[in-house]
Amino acid sequence: MEPQDLRYHKEHEWIRVEGNKATLGISNFAQDALGDVVFIDLPEVGVSLAADAELGEVESTKATSTIYSPVTGAVVQVNQELEEHPEFLNQDPYGRGWIAVLELSNPVEIDGLMTAEQYEAFLTSEE
Amino acid sequence: MPPNFSINGKLLSIPILSFAESLELQQTLVRQRAGEQQRDTLILTEHEPVLTLGRTTKPEHWEPHWQKLQAKGISLHQTNRGGSVTYHGPGQIIGYPILRLRNFCPGPKIYVQKLEEVLIRTLEEWGIVGCRHESFRGVWVKHGAGQLEKIASIGVRISKGITMHGFALNVNLDLQPFSLLTPCGIENCKVTSMKKILNKQVDSGLVRKRLATNFAEIFNLEWNELKSE
Repeated sequence: MEPQDLRYHKEHEWIRVEGNKATLGISNFAQDALGDVVFIDLPEVGVSLAADAELGEVESTKATSTIYSPVTGAVVQVNQELEEHPEFLNQDPYGRGWIAVLELSNPVEIDGLMTAEQYEAFLTSEE
Repeated sequence: MPPNFSINGKLLSIPILSFAESLELQQTLVRQRAGEQQRDTLILTEHEPVLTLGRTTKPEHWEPHWQKLQAKGISLHQTNRGGSVTYHGPGQIIGYPILRLRNFCPGPKIYVQKLEEVLIRTLEEWGIVGCRHESFRGVWVKHGAGQLEKIASIGVRISKGITMHGFALNVNLDLQPFSLLTPCGIENCKVTSMKKILNKQVDSGLVRKRLATNFAEIFNLEWNELKSE
């Protein structure tokens, strides 16, 4: 079961909206498909990102993969702890594995993201 | 969802490419594949002597003997693939699959396992038992008392759902340069080749053919080029 209070992106990122800010990370499906994450290249605070733009990169099992931003906004905070502990992305993707907080430029984009129920159906269709 | 019929793929077997040329070719194919203007492709080639670094490579894994390596005519390339430092040179078969990954597997973990499977199956045809290491990806061979030696390396990149970089299998490769670096960032990592194990020169054209066939089987692809042969 995916957390019910989050919205999900087709590239397997999640987002938690609080006011005009949104915390984001990768889904449980994503962390499992990646395998053990050994390195993350985080975005810089202050950077503005368009929806679907590259947010950062992770390295796992000899593979580098891109993480995408589900929404448009400016990065206001990043989870520096992941640089020392990239394994949090695997162990606690919805908690200590959060990646960044964005200030939303276009909150209406949230409506275009999947609910937990829709994301679970999406995962089933992808299998 | 992986389809239950074979996908038509394109096999590009190129005798030798510099690392820079292969990068340019891959980038073009990735762009075309992302735009649906290209089929899933496997490039098979060999490289002129080159040291390549991954994003997590530490300087102490290659810098101490860099002058000696350079004196051997080895060049240096920083890359954006996964994995650490490695050496490529003539006699090593390189495979660069340019695939829309989700048509073949859910993500990098399974993808790397499948690449290992292609290599293990190919080695088996030469009577070489390749195996996986529990912490270090790639393909290993047990030597003598049981020490594992690395015979094939893997380092990939997935961007916009398309794969690039890939695997390197030591066929008749001169292994000496590996002694001047810390391959894959693994301390005391020994490297081997098919030639060293079999104690004779290996028909690398045949290895390419078998790699292509096994790759097609494991990824459920059909090479148009091979069919017309």
